[in-house]
Amino acid sequence: MKTRRTSLTVVLAALCLFVGGARAELVIIGHHGGPDTITPQQVKDIYLNRSSRLPDGQRVVAFQLPAGNSMRDEFNELITERNDAWLKSFWSRQVLTGKGHPPREVSSANSMKSVVSSTLGSIGYLDSTLVDDSVKVLLTPEP
Amino acid sequence: MYSVYGTTTRFALTSLTLTAALSLPAMADDSQRIDQLEQRLDSMQKQMTESSLEKVRLNGFFSTGYTRANNDAGYDDATEKSDLETLSLFGLQSTFALGRNTEAVLQLVSRGNEDWDTELEWGYLRHQFSNGFETRAGKMRLPLFMESETLEIGYGQPWARPPEAVYDPVPVRSYLGADAAYTFNLSGSSIQARAFAGHLDDEADSLGRTVNVELRNITGLTANWTNYLWTFRGVYARAEATIGGTPPLGDDEKSEFMGLGLSYDDGSWLLMSELTRVEVDGFYQDTDSAYITLGYRIKEVTPYATASWVESQDNHEREATPLEVLDVRRQAYSLGFRWDMTPSVAMKMDWTHARGFGKTTGGLIGNQLDALSGNPGGRFDSTDVYTVRLDAAF
Repeated sequence: MKTRRTSLTVVLAALCLFVGGARAELVIIGHHGGPDTITPQQVKDIYLNRSSRLPDGQRVVAFQLPAGNSMRDEFNELITERNDAWLKSFWSRQVLTGKGHPPREVSSANSMKSVVSSTLGSIGYLDSTLVDDSVKVLLTPEP
Repeated sequence: MYSVYGTTTRFALTSLTLTAALSLPAMADDSQRIDQLEQRLDSMQKQMTESSLEKVRLNGFFSTGYTRANNDAGYDDATEKSDLETLSLFGLQSTFALGRNTEAVLQLVSRGNEDWDTELEWGYLRHQFSNGFETRAGKMRLPLFMESETLEIGYGQPWARPPEAVYDPVPVRSYLGADAAYTFNLSGSSIQARAFAGHLDDEADSLGRTVNVELRNITGLTANWTNYLWTFRGVYARAEATIGGTPPLGDDEKSEFMGLGLSYDDGSWLLMSELTRVEVDGFYQDTDSAYITLGYRIKEVTPYATASWVESQDNHEREATPLEVLDVRRQAYSLGFRWDMTPSVAMKMDWTHARGFGKTTGGLIGNQLDALSGNPGGRFDSTDVYTVRLDAAF
C-alpha cells in the first residue's frame, strides 16, 4: 500500500514537472482596473523611469521582485536589458537628483500577487505558473 | 540556466506538497496558514510604507579613496605622500513631501579635505506642475556640467574622479536662486529646457590660499535632449565675478560659461564627452577644456579610458606678472575600472598620466607654488596619479 502511494506521488510529481516546466515563463501582470495589454517597450519605459503612466493614462505604481530572484533576472534580460549593477547605479542617480524612485520591491512572488491585485494602477511580473484570477496578465514577453 | 534551476525547485516543492497532501493533511493546513499570515504581513508592511516612508525619504552617499602620485606636481592635490582625505566625503539627503507635487530637499555634505565640516549643499523647495513645468527655489547645484548634480556622488559615476580638465576651472559648486524647467515628451525621446538665476558667495582654493568667490546676477540656460541611449546637452551662463587673492583676480568682471555635452549608454558601451569654455575678464584664466571617456561593462566590471585637455586662452593678460603661474596647458590620460562589488558599493582603480604643460605650470598646485617661491627650475613636466576609491549609495 505504502509503495503504491509513493509511486503515485512520483508519477504525479513527474507530470507536474512536465506541465510546470512547459509553462514556466515570465508574465507581466497588472491590476484588473488597468489596461488589457502592454508592449515590452512600454514596460521598459516604466521600469527605467521614462514614463510614469500606463497605456490607458493611469498613474503607474511599479513593483519588482528582490535581487537574486530568477524571475527578476529574466525580467532584466527580456525587458530592461540592463543588469542589476547598472540598475542600482542608475536609480541612485535618479533618487539623488530628485528624478524618481525605483519600483517598490516586494519580498516574494506571493506578495507580488497580493500587492498587484490590491493596488490601483499597479504593474508587476511573475512566473506564469503562479498567476491566478486575482491579477490580469498584460504581456508574455517573447525571449 | 535559471529556468532549469527554477524547474528543479518547483519539482521538489511540488512533490513535497503532494506528499504532504496525501499523507499529512495537517501540514497542508499549516502551510496555508503561513501563506495567509505572510500575505497579511505584506499588506501591513505596504500600509506602513505608504503612510510613513512616503512623507520623508532619507538617502545617502559615501566615498573614500587612496591617492598617491609619483611626484609633487599636485594633480588634484595628489603628492608623493599618500592621501586619504581628498576623496573622502559623506552625504545625507532627505526629501520631505509637502503635498502631492511639492517637496523640500536637503543635502548635507561633510568632506575630508574640509575637516569634515558639515555644509548645507542643497536646500530647496520644488514644485511640479502637471503640465510638465517644474520650478525650484533655494540653494542648488550650479548646473554647468553634465554631471553637476551627481558631482560628489561617486557611486553614480564611472570614473575614479571627474576629468579635472573640465570640472576644475569652475571652483564653486552651489548657488542661491531659482530655476524653472519644462520637459517636452516626444515619442521615444524627451527634451528638457531649464532657465536659472541667482547669486553665489563661496570660498575656493587658489595658489595655496582660500579666497572668496562671488558671482552676482547669475543667469543661464540649459537644454537637454535624450532618446535614453544618446544624450545631447548645451549650456550657457553668465555672471559678474569678484574673485579674491593677492592681487585680487577679479572685481565685478564679466564672466561667461559655455558647454556642450554628449553621452551614450546602452547598458554595455558607455561614452561621455564634454567641451567647455570659461571666459572671465581680468586676471582669472579663460580656459577651453574637453574630455572623452569610453567604457565597456563586462558584468560587474567596467573598464574605462579617458583623454582630456585644458588650455588657457588669455596668457597675455598675465604676462610678466607673478600670476603667470595661472597659465595652464595640460593633457591627461586615464585608464581605470569600476567594479560593482555588492549592490550599493563600487570600487574604482585609476591611473592618470598628465603631461604637455608647455611653458606653463600645467595648472597644478605643486608647480604653481614652486614657481611663486622663485624656484621655477623645480617644475615637473608630467605626473602620474594612482587612485583606489570606494563609493557607496544608500
